Amino acid sequence: MANRFKCATLGSACLGLSMTLVTPSVSALTDIIDIPARDTELAPESLLNDVTRTGDRIVAVGERGHIIYSDNDGESWTQAEVPVSVTLTALDFGTESHGWAVGHSGVLLHSSDAGENWTLQFDGLQAAALTIETKKAQIAEMEDVIEQAPEDQKDDLEWALDDLVFALENAEADMEVGPVNPLLDVWFENNQHGFAVGAYGMILRTQDGGESWQDWSPYIDNAQNFHYNGIDQVAGGALVLVGEAGQIHVSVDNGDTWEKRESPYPGSLFGVTGTGNVNEILAFGLRGTTIFSSDLGRSWTIVPNEGNTTLNNALVTEDGRITLVGNGGAVLMSANGGQSFRAYFRSDRGSVMGAVPLSDTNLLLVGEDGVKFTDSRGKNLK
Amino acid sequence: MSDPMHDRGEHYLTTPKAEPFLERLLFNNRALILLGFLVLTLFLGYNAAKIQPDASFERMIPLEHPYIVNMLDHRDDLENLGNFVRIAVAVEDGDIFDPEYMETLKQITDEMFYLNGVDRSGLKSLWTSNVRWVEVTEQGFQGGTVIPDNYDGSRESLEKLRQNVLRSNEVGRLVSDNFQSTVVYAPLYEKNPETGEALDYAEFSRQLEEKIRDKYEGQNPEISIHIVGFAKKVGDLIEGIGSIAWFAGITILLTTLLLFWYSRCIAGTLVPVFTSIIAVFWQLGALKLLGYGLDPYSVLVPFLVFAIGISHGVQIVNAMAVESAKGFDAVTSARLAFRALYIPGMLALISDAMGFLTLVFIEIDVIRDLAVAAGLGVAFVIVTNLVLHVLIMSYIGISKGGVRHVQNHGEKQDRKWRIMSYFSHPGVAPISLLIAVIGLGLGMYYKQDLKVGDLDQGAPELRADSRYNKDNAFIINNYSTSADVLVVMVKTPEEQCTQYNVLRAMDSLQWELQNTPGVQGSVSLADVSKLVTKALNEGNWKWFEISRNQTIINASIRDAPSGLINTSCDLTPVLVFLEDHKAETLQTVIERTEAFAQANSNEEHTFLLAAGNAGIEAATNEVISGAKDIMLLLVYSVVSLLCFLTFRSLRAVACIVIPLGLTSILCEAIMAMSGIGIKVATLPVIALGVGIGVDYGIYIYSKLEHFLLEGKTLQEAYYETLRSTGKAVIFTGVTLGLGVVTWIFSPIKFQADMGFLLFFMFLWNMVGAIWLLPALARFLLRPDKMLAKARAASKS
Repeated sequence: MANRFKCATLGSACLGLSMTLVTPSVSALTDIIDIPARDTELAPESLLNDVTRTGDRIVAVGERGHIIYSDNDGESWTQAEVPVSVTLTALDFGTESHGWAVGHSGVLLHSSDAGENWTLQFDGLQAAALTIETKKAQIAEMEDVIEQAPEDQKDDLEWALDDLVFALENAEADMEVGPVNPLLDVWFENNQHGFAVGAYGMILRTQDGGESWQDWSPYIDNAQNFHYNGIDQVAGGALVLVGEAGQIHVSVDNGDTWEKRESPYPGSLFGVTGTGNVNEILAFGLRGTTIFSSDLGRSWTIVPNEGNTTLNNALVTEDGRITLVGNGGAVLMSANGGQSFRAYFRSDRGSVMGAVPLSDTNLLLVGEDGVKFTDSRGKNLK
Repeated sequence: MSDPMHDRGEHYLTTPKAEPFLERLLFNNRALILLGFLVLTLFLGYNAAKIQPDASFERMIPLEHPYIVNMLDHRDDLENLGNFVRIAVAVEDGDIFDPEYMETLKQITDEMFYLNGVDRSGLKSLWTSNVRWVEVTEQGFQGGTVIPDNYDGSRESLEKLRQNVLRSNEVGRLVSDNFQSTVVYAPLYEKNPETGEALDYAEFSRQLEEKIRDKYEGQNPEISIHIVGFAKKVGDLIEGIGSIAWFAGITILLTTLLLFWYSRCIAGTLVPVFTSIIAVFWQLGALKLLGYGLDPYSVLVPFLVFAIGISHGVQIVNAMAVESAKGFDAVTSARLAFRALYIPGMLALISDAMGFLTLVFIEIDVIRDLAVAAGLGVAFVIVTNLVLHVLIMSYIGISKGGVRHVQNHGEKQDRKWRIMSYFSHPGVAPISLLIAVIGLGLGMYYKQDLKVGDLDQGAPELRADSRYNKDNAFIINNYSTSADVLVVMVKTPEEQCTQYNVLRAMDSLQWELQNTPGVQGSVSLADVSKLVTKALNEGNWKWFEISRNQTIINASIRDAPSGLINTSCDLTPVLVFLEDHKAETLQTVIERTEAFAQANSNEEHTFLLAAGNAGIEAATNEVISGAKDIMLLLVYSVVSLLCFLTFRSLRAVACIVIPLGLTSILCEAIMAMSGIGIKVATLPVIALGVGIGVDYGIYIYSKLEHFLLEGKTLQEAYYETLRSTGKAVIFTGVTLGLGVVTWIFSPIKFQADMGFLLFFMFLWNMVGAIWLLPALARFLLRPDKMLAKARAASKS
């Protein structure tokens, strides 16, 4: 217990200590978390994991700390100043100028100039320290609960305690290795409030524009620490979080509390989106699985589709059409609010990780081979 | 040679003591000496017949260069990395999803399986069970062989095959981007693991032609077969050496005809050809006794030896014919010819040999071998063509026809010589010099573009339009692959080659290089780890990163290709694929890599350069460009020194050496203009060109001096020089040129380059001696002073 307080109050000193313990005494290379992304012409052709629009600007993130932006619908790209070289996995803008990007080593990057310059707000070591802190608090709390609980409930509670101890041990082991776990998605409501979610049940929340982050995992029922893969807000204001093992969590109070939904699917869900209609949710994942709910996830229907490759991301355009993109060049399109999809597979079969609309019905896709310009079905233009 | 009896022994050309002694020694024991030659020829000829082609490619690389030292140190760990053949089986129309095509592909795969030398476990084609498609499911992975289990050639099973190919990730690797060809990939054993026998590249390559290409192209006219790989290239090279025999035949025939046209005397034709061939036998026999074989470079030396032999023989024949025309009998003519020629002949040959021997300083074995072979050959020519030739001719003599030819022809030619003697005229000489200076300027200008290394696409040893390079181009155009690979070796403590920091450092080097112009891509364990980590995370690209968790790294590289990890896990390579192997490309990439290696090597990982064909070539380029200037300096120093020792005059040295320098510079300009780089094959050409080119100057100058010392004016002396030796010199240039010009048709590119350049140098050096030497003499020589000096010397 004493330990816990030391670390809670002397967070950074504690981190420094554990780092010096694990780093071998050789002149190792600078950690990639401390190396700014290299300015390279190859960025638009390399792996890009997510893309979004903010105002008239398109911003995309990808491997090696690449963040690129374009003010002319992708005709030319500028590489942003990014202080890390880790693979980035997702980004979201809370306002036109305030955006956050997340990635491996638990990095959380912030830009206040619409994506031109980025600063590191938080990293995996801090996340691990935070996890250790909350797990210890949860354990203490659980121990108290067990003490006062009636005899017949104690067994179940002991199991729950074991899960917590196990999670704490994992977090401590991770801490020794370094910032191991990636963040996989991010959502921001405005320039103050947002969530970042990732591997092994990591979920972080800020309410002060990223100045400070809280470990929100205690408020979500995910005892086995399955990955969280996607988070989004649907029409009507509810937040939906999906992940490994078919997890679906819904919050109707702007993220304060979360309710776990019964899932129609045991495999991984990689993303979630609204359809434009109030309380409607479309989630998607492994092997092209697509599920639809019109009642905030209380009941689900499985949407039949012709593709069977993993789906990674969704795009809902103003005209109400929904496009899902995925591995093997999958581009699925629905003109009926997600009731059914037509599948198209790009000729290069390259995985698609994200899409933004261009003029007319054309799309800009990003994925394993960088940026592609396509028609609405994902077929290359020109 | 107005009257040979009046030659007085006042001069080095007729040193009174040595000459009669040597001459007497030889001519008084003619039979005995000839018998000795016979015995020696039988002995060396017997050995020559046993000489073997030796295409040891280790001899072609600079073994002392640190890159090569590193490469050879880790050879066992890298062994199987580059040694494979790829056989692309292409359809002309339609695509590969065709029952007949698949049947042929199956037969080829089976045939390769049983081919001696193939590592069967690594054999890959659409028909092998190690080529699979994989899909992530809720339960984990699902997959199968790309060939459907119950494949029967029906439409359905072909459609299934198409789907499997698409999800197999083999498009661009095993299947071409346009689906019109697929590859059978066969890794090879350097040494057969059962018998321990080394792979016979020539035999293997022959079998590929016979059992794969000829057989299946014949059987199924719809398909074409393209084969690439180190073993195939070496096989084609060895086959190429064979065609040298034809060139030898053609060269001998052409030379003989030319010689007869020149001398009009059968003995004067056949004897020099005969003695030159004997010199070749001696040279080959001696090489065999010294433990050498014939590699694609030294196989050219016999041509040189033969040509040099002929060119000196012709001087003898010419001198004898001139003496005979004056009425001397065979023996006396032979004696007089010997007396007049043995000093300049020996001097010329010694400077040839010395020129060749300067090549010994280049740290590439094949060039050293060339130096030794050529040096030996020339040494033998001294004996065969200055001694044996003269002795045989002293029995046979020049035929009447030959003598008459000299008499008639000589008179007819005089007008021509008279015109050419104007090269030394005070009015013409400045113009000649001006032209030479302009030529020099142009040469200097164009030679700025001279590059080091090989400049063409594909296998540089073979011609751009060779079968191998066409196959190579086919594969490069249809598959995501490059033929130019630089391998950086990453050395770690034992069992540490998969540590996070090592993978991270390799990844960092790769990204540095991928951002370097000329680099197409790269592969290392870091890529394998990232890809498999992604696959293990349900194929989600967001996980495409090197994990910091060592357990995950270990899981991710468990099935990494064996070439990427050695058995003790202390060496792992980074393979860098380059756009080409041009010297600048290599240099930029090497510089960046060196800088990175310097900055990032530590106890955990040391970056070592370099293996792969590009690494070898970079090392070779470095050695070559470092050696070029030293070699030129040496060869010119040696040649100048020899000339000075003989003629005791710096002015003489200038007259002889300046035309050579002009030729060297023009040669480099021509190389730059025709896209021939300085490389293992062409560097020796410059030394050979200078070494042999000096002969002309020596023959011309010694005669010129001789006549000047008789008190003649420069132009008159030059006229006499041309009359007596001009024809022989021109003939020599042409013979030497003919000796090498046939190489231009060699299937081996570097032999063709050598042939072309030597042809130019031999001819142009001759022009330089005939045209520029007298012009320089007009400005540099002081006949009156020379005369005074010689008189003073003879008096004392």
